[in-house]
Amino acid sequence: MKKQILICCGTGCRANGSMKVAEALNQAVKSHNGNAKVIADIKTTGCHGFCENGPIVKILPDNLVYYKVKPEDSDEIVEKSVLGEEEIGRLMYKDDSGRPVRSQEENPFYAHQYKMVLRDVGEIDPENIGDYLERGGYEALRKAVSMSQDEIIDEVEKSGIRGRGGAGFPAGRKWRTAKRYDNFPKYVACNGDEGDPGAFMDCSILEGNPHSVIEGLAIAAIAVGAKEGFFYIRDEYDLAVKRIKKAIQDAEERGIIGASVMGSEYSLKLSVVRGGGAFVCGESTALMASIEGRVGEPRAKYIRSVQRGLWNQPTVLNNVETLANIPKIILEGGEKFAMTGTKGSTGTKVFSLVGKVKRTGLVEVPMGTTLRHLIYDIGGGIIGNRPFKAVQTGGPSGGCIPESMLDLEVDFDSLASYGAMMGSGGMIVMDDRSCMVEVARYYTNFLCEESCGKCTPCREGLRRMLEILTDICEGRGREGDIELLERLGHTMQEASLCSLGKTAANPVLTTIQYFWEEYEAHIREKRCPAGVCKNLTCFEIEAEKCTGCGMCARGCPVDAISGGKKEVHIIDASKCIACGSCRETCKFDAVRTGARQNVIEGRQAV
Amino acid sequence: MTEFQPDNQIQIEINGRACTCTKGEFLLEAARRNGFYIPTLCHHPGIAEQGCCRVCLAEVVENERSKIVVSCVYPVEKPCKVYTDSERVKEDRKVVLMLLALRAPESTEIQALCRQYGVMDGSRFKPIEGEKCIMCGLCARACASLGTGAISTVLRGTSKKISTPYDEPSDVCVGCLSCTRVCPVDAIPYTEDETKRSIWGREFPLVHCQECGAVIGTREEIALAAGKSGEEVQDLCPECRKKKMSDVMAHTYGTE
Amino acid sequence: MEVSRENIEELIHSYECSQRHALAIMQDMQRRYQYIPREGLNALAKYLGCPVSSLYAMATFYKALSLVPKGEHIIKCCDGTACHIRGASTLIDGVERELGISPGETTSDGLFSFETVNCLGSCAMAPVLVVDDVYYGRVTPEKLKGIIQTVREGGAK
Repeated sequence: MKKQILICCGTGCRANGSMKVAEALNQAVKSHNGNAKVIADIKTTGCHGFCENGPIVKILPDNLVYYKVKPEDSDEIVEKSVLGEEEIGRLMYKDDSGRPVRSQEENPFYAHQYKMVLRDVGEIDPENIGDYLERGGYEALRKAVSMSQDEIIDEVEKSGIRGRGGAGFPAGRKWRTAKRYDNFPKYVACNGDEGDPGAFMDCSILEGNPHSVIEGLAIAAIAVGAKEGFFYIRDEYDLAVKRIKKAIQDAEERGIIGASVMGSEYSLKLSVVRGGGAFVCGESTALMASIEGRVGEPRAKYIRSVQRGLWNQPTVLNNVETLANIPKIILEGGEKFAMTGTKGSTGTKVFSLVGKVKRTGLVEVPMGTTLRHLIYDIGGGIIGNRPFKAVQTGGPSGGCIPESMLDLEVDFDSLASYGAMMGSGGMIVMDDRSCMVEVARYYTNFLCEESCGKCTPCREGLRRMLEILTDICEGRGREGDIELLERLGHTMQEASLCSLGKTAANPVLTTIQYFWEEYEAHIREKRCPAGVCKNLTCFEIEAEKCTGCGMCARGCPVDAISGGKKEVHIIDASKCIACGSCRETCKFDAVRTGARQNVIEGRQAV
Repeated sequence: MTEFQPDNQIQIEINGRACTCTKGEFLLEAARRNGFYIPTLCHHPGIAEQGCCRVCLAEVVENERSKIVVSCVYPVEKPCKVYTDSERVKEDRKVVLMLLALRAPESTEIQALCRQYGVMDGSRFKPIEGEKCIMCGLCARACASLGTGAISTVLRGTSKKISTPYDEPSDVCVGCLSCTRVCPVDAIPYTEDETKRSIWGREFPLVHCQECGAVIGTREEIALAAGKSGEEVQDLCPECRKKKMSDVMAHTYGTE
Repeated sequence: MEVSRENIEELIHSYECSQRHALAIMQDMQRRYQYIPREGLNALAKYLGCPVSSLYAMATFYKALSLVPKGEHIIKCCDGTACHIRGASTLIDGVERELGISPGETTSDGLFSFETVNCLGSCAMAPVLVVDDVYYGRVTPEKLKGIIQTVREGGAK
């Protein structure tokens, strides 16, 4: 039986060299048989989600998956696992007990996932429309053109699907409102400006299954009566832009969209707009200003964009993941969709689980899954089994959630009541070596650069928050600073113009709420408990733990560490730049941090 | 004249007093029309959808739900209760005024607002030295619609500023002063003497009325106006022009 | 690529004359010349019939666009959250030390430009460094020196 070799060529695996692996496998197959097609189909696919272990190679129908494959491995793979039935243990994933696992289903990273949106991502060749069609692609669109507009919207409403971009507005209600306006032309747009740092869900859907998003957008267009649609895609996502463009072209050539959608009287023109590198353009009105070819500044949204959007016409804007769910809803019915997830938040959600967890990558789970399940069962816990400190969700608009809330079932509403938000799905796990004040400063600094600068509370409020947070991190914090931050944050929430400004204080407010004592340690004791803030931290090597392996000295960028082989190493405090590389590299936990003040006082005493 | 039909009228309550406003009317205008003054900086009747200084905050209670809105861009769509000076409004406005005072410590207008409406203590922060501009962007929008688009907002976030392209003397500016006239805080510097006006790094010769000698404007500004209207380039001030016109009329129709 | 009036005009005229293409045209210029040349901004303003200032506003607002020429090699250090908590700031300091320039600057010999970016979507391999579109994952200060050395000696691999 002819086998199939799937090679993940998402951004993550490409960065790990998967294109070279694909080439080498092709060569290897050819050299074994002269004609690759006879023994195996080689297919490059989108992201499998387990990016840190890429390049990933999957062999079907054996369902054998190899990780961290190098070009040199290709001959062996072809000989043993394609021509033969042998496993190569070294390339298999080892589960928590160290046992090599064969399939994705046995891999703990995948075993707890439930794939709806990502089902075909990683299985199909995103650049081959035939592959999508073979798996039932565009059947939902075919069905939609035979339904009335209200019937389509009914199904979407019944599904209960809410916007995956973060705000969680019911998609069906948005479509219904847009349909009601008889002010033509109307537009549909897909928000692919995934700006939250640490999140790449939409990127992988656009790259891995572009046709599913196109199909979703086309159904939206038919439901509301739009003849033109836009994909607004983040500038950094080169591959996603390329694939969507190709997919649009292929769909046009097959008569799926264009002058006639699936042979119906509907027409639809789709085009791609590249974002300009501005986080604020993820906000709907700013995104629309950007599509119109202007500076991406938001406007007051008392009149919603569904009434007055692109070129002041009714516009439906949906997120990538939302749209990718639509075909399934139309084909299988809204009620079936609503059976997954929680009452208020139906369906699944894709999260990008990153940071200090053992297994990082993209995961899809039903709404209502607990944070603990995500981080410990799927993510495998914290790297080095260090203590968990917080998980940051929702990017710069979200908040930091402490350990006491790990059993919270994550959906649109549960996190909001704690000052955080689920957001678009970024989930950044932090351990005891992450400083929460520094994280708040990081987001505030990010927003100072990314705010459009139009309204006073956001622009000036962020400037002043950053002033205080920088002071705190550098040892100049004062009594009253925390209260001042809260006061500023409160006014920013109430008085800012757009949702970026209204939520900009969340990282600061939630870290104050849950990690108050860490702020106090910085302000009162001039100490950074996590050992991150450079002005407040000194590094020392514990003689009892040091084995003299020399790893720290080799990794030190300023040669501040000295010590002979198998001797206790010493950090020269006058040279040390407190970067923390030694602590990261030390396998024996011998590098400890302390407050700088103590060092100085200690020296004086000697 | 549809806006005067009774079904377009909404009954609202402002600070406890019953008022009438037109559906869709901006709250700021409705309030002012009914005698309630709400302070603003960036609002200009000729330039729509500003809403960026955030001084004109008001509290609106709709269906028992209270929210803070920005009155200059908030369209009144249904009956509601409005409070222009509630505790919540005052607290937020004090913070906004503190932020503005730190942003533009040189502005006397902001100092006056702070005195009148109260301001939060901002001594913890370092004000931006020598700054007057509050970054409302009215000047750039006025220039785009009345002038030549010589200036715009530049950069973003906390670095945002107003400037000409490349910070160079603008080659399209006509020195019409539209920008300075809309600026709520007098932040755009210019100088003028008998013969010339200097603004945005350039000098413009002034044209005087052939009859009375009053300043009509810069040469470039007059040429631009003539180009737009299709009339000849003027060498008389509006007063003398009117007088000349009436003289011509009198002469033609012989009423002398 | 050399900036000439002909190739700027050709680039601009490949789009229909509409404000909505302003950003796309400028991005094309950015790709072709590694920055937006002044001639390009002026020619585009003329083509679209809009003030230069409105395009200048965009060129300074959008981070993907640059008004100054970039160096031969572009080093991008990702400072997205995942990279940040896994040591991106140490890498940024490292590049600053190695090249003597801060993010947003170009070395005086025109060899390197250094930028920080807010997430490249490769969070699983944090911290990430990109040199001339080649990705490096799990970069340590030690690895960093080697990467820069390789580029100096003849371009990214």
